[in-house]
Amino acid sequence: MLSFFDSWFPLIYLYGLGGVFFFFGMYIIKRSGAIDLTIKRHRFWFRVMFFGFFYFVLMHVILTIAALYF
Amino acid sequence: MNQETFHSIGTSTDWIVMVVYFIAIMLFGSYFGRYNRSTKDFFFGGRRFAWWLIAFSIVATGVGSHSFVKYSAKGFEHGFSSTMTYINDWFFIPFFLFGWLPIIVYSKIRSIPEYFEKRFSPSARFLATILLLVYMIGYIGIGFLTLGKAVIPMLPESFALLGMTFDVTLMGAVIVIAIITGIYITFGGQTAVIFTDLLQGGILIFAGLLLFVLGMNYLGGFDVFWNLLPTEWKMPLAKFNSPPDFNFVGIFWQDGVAGSIGFLFMNMGLIMRFMATKSVNEGRKAATFNILFMLPISAVVVGGAGWIGKAISVANPDVVPPNTSPDQIFVVVANIVAMPGVFGFIMAALTAALMSTVDTLINATAAIYINDVYRPVKKWFKGKEVSQKMKDKRELFAARLSSVAITILGVLAVLVFKNFPTVYEAHGYFHSTLTPPLVVAIFLGIFWRKFTPAAVITTFLGGVALMLMGANHPGILIAPFDHGIEMNPSHPYSYIRAFYNIFVCAAVGVIVALAAPRLKSIVANIKSKENYKQVFYFIAGLAGVLFFGLIFSSSFITLHPGSVVETTVLLLLAIILILCVAISVTYFVKYDEEAQTLGLTAWSINAAKEFFKGGKVNDREGEPVKVNWKLKPGDEDTINFSKSDMDKMQADVGDLVYLTDARKWLGGLKSIHSVYGEPHDEEGIVHVNDEHTKQSQFIEGKILAAEKEM
Repeated sequence: MLSFFDSWFPLIYLYGLGGVFFFFGMYIIKRSGAIDLTIKRHRFWFRVMFFGFFYFVLMHVILTIAALYF
Repeated sequence: MNQETFHSIGTSTDWIVMVVYFIAIMLFGSYFGRYNRSTKDFFFGGRRFAWWLIAFSIVATGVGSHSFVKYSAKGFEHGFSSTMTYINDWFFIPFFLFGWLPIIVYSKIRSIPEYFEKRFSPSARFLATILLLVYMIGYIGIGFLTLGKAVIPMLPESFALLGMTFDVTLMGAVIVIAIITGIYITFGGQTAVIFTDLLQGGILIFAGLLLFVLGMNYLGGFDVFWNLLPTEWKMPLAKFNSPPDFNFVGIFWQDGVAGSIGFLFMNMGLIMRFMATKSVNEGRKAATFNILFMLPISAVVVGGAGWIGKAISVANPDVVPPNTSPDQIFVVVANIVAMPGVFGFIMAALTAALMSTVDTLINATAAIYINDVYRPVKKWFKGKEVSQKMKDKRELFAARLSSVAITILGVLAVLVFKNFPTVYEAHGYFHSTLTPPLVVAIFLGIFWRKFTPAAVITTFLGGVALMLMGANHPGILIAPFDHGIEMNPSHPYSYIRAFYNIFVCAAVGVIVALAAPRLKSIVANIKSKENYKQVFYFIAGLAGVLFFGLIFSSSFITLHPGSVVETTVLLLLAIILILCVAISVTYFVKYDEEAQTLGLTAWSINAAKEFFKGGKVNDREGEPVKVNWKLKPGDEDTINFSKSDMDKMQADVGDLVYLTDARKWLGGLKSIHSVYGEPHDEEGIVHVNDEHTKQSQFIEGKILAAEKEM
């Protein structure tokens, strides 16, 4: 069995540090006005970007569980 | 353990299939070469295509560059974690979709260095051009190396010609491939590349999945395959910090951070694709679709052969020896699981896709050469005035000639990378080393208004000096960043060096930007002296001497690699270099923060849109209309719709309009951008002039679709 350090920790590091970059990016584009949530098209993209982040988290969690327990 | 290598894999049927495939692809590409009417079309495809066309054409570029060869190799050595570099590109997507993409489109820049001139100064552009050309040519070298490694297993060890025996070598194979690639790109251009990539993207996905299914079938089904692999091989992410040649944390910094930003923000080949979409929104759709759906599929497509190879080597080591050379595993597995002809088709798809990547990169590098070297040099020498048509013709010729020169340099770059154990490590080292200065400069330039020319130029010069020092003294300088990764003395810290490199470049940039007021006061202080000009020239000269001295000592002299004293002295010299560069640039470069950040940072996208349009932006949401077209006299670049059609589109005279053949499957190939002229009363009719029809190649009687751009 792989240790926590080599199984779940890379995933936590990936989305922990990667998440810092991602949410900082979301903050910057909102703060700078590059994304304007009063525009319908921009609201769509705002949701798509959040969806994408959690979509990849879910993908890696499922793949890790499959590898460890199936 | 000695690696087993293979030669003469495949049959004559496979070679016939490959040759037919290549001829078909080249003819297909040449057909679209006729859409090149200027360098704008040659390089950018005329900003006209639909998102789906670009999204699929990117597949061949992405899959080709992150090739079958290197991911199959890592899949064979380490299992499913070979996919991790394909599923870690989302973190920087907000910065790209709402920062860099609108800025490059709306500011009408034609290359990344041009952005540096507008945002900072011509000297920043000069340095960015050098760094970018080195990066692009290195990337082309990696592409050629991969291509060579892909075809070598299919070739004999030697062949006889006119009574003489010639050994088949990697460099020999690379040179032949480069000649074929160079011929194609020289006469194709961006539109040809986009369309061949579109075709190849589809074929590539099909070929990769076909190979995976054939492999499963060979093994006896998915359950057998799954159960043959140990748990470690099924993990989607590698072990945290071991082994040195493939570990999660190193690859996160090398690929997830430097690679992702590099790929999205400074890979001119990819950026030109996004610039070829009809609008920023279409570019966003193409990028998003590619990362969300195409990259995970591509991860299976490119790594699958390695996983199958691993499973076969566990079940039957006589068929696939465990010590098979990792870079050959794709070809070996394809030959085992596919019948003759099918193997040829898979190999043709692989090599053609790799050629697409190299084509795209050569095309992009030629664009940088024309825009950032050829035009400024022409402007400098101020030659005889010639017509725009003649100028365009000359530039197109220069573009084609430079493509040939770049191809030759790409072949030479292979010499630098060919000694790495695998293509993956060569690529990792390349990304870690060449991307950080530009990545940091672009990133801070876009998102931080306070980032000054002094900061960007110091990032380039000071950053490069510190990076080279790190490369020379990894045990002292990179070790504190290593996350516990063991240092391999022959290739120290291939991946995690990206963390050190990004850190030093960002630290230099941020410190100099924050110190801007202090630098100004130092400059003002020096200027108050009588002989201040000599002082500034001395400081600039000292900076030059220190920079080249540090580069030279780091590149060619290795006195005491582990010496703390030597490293400390070099670090002190680097600090003096940084100070001298920052003071010199603050004095010599004229910079107006207000004017040079307007429309060029994420903080003023609306200003960029207004600049792009040349007036106030009309954001009212209208709907597209379908119209028939009529030819009008004159050459004024406006097109005229009826009043009611203008109302439907919520358009005003002077707004920007996109007009395309209504057949969606053409993906915008027959289309133009123009400006709304005065309306008329002919309902359902649009008036266009002769030049519009030539540019768009509209067909008489075919219905057009129009939509307001802004």
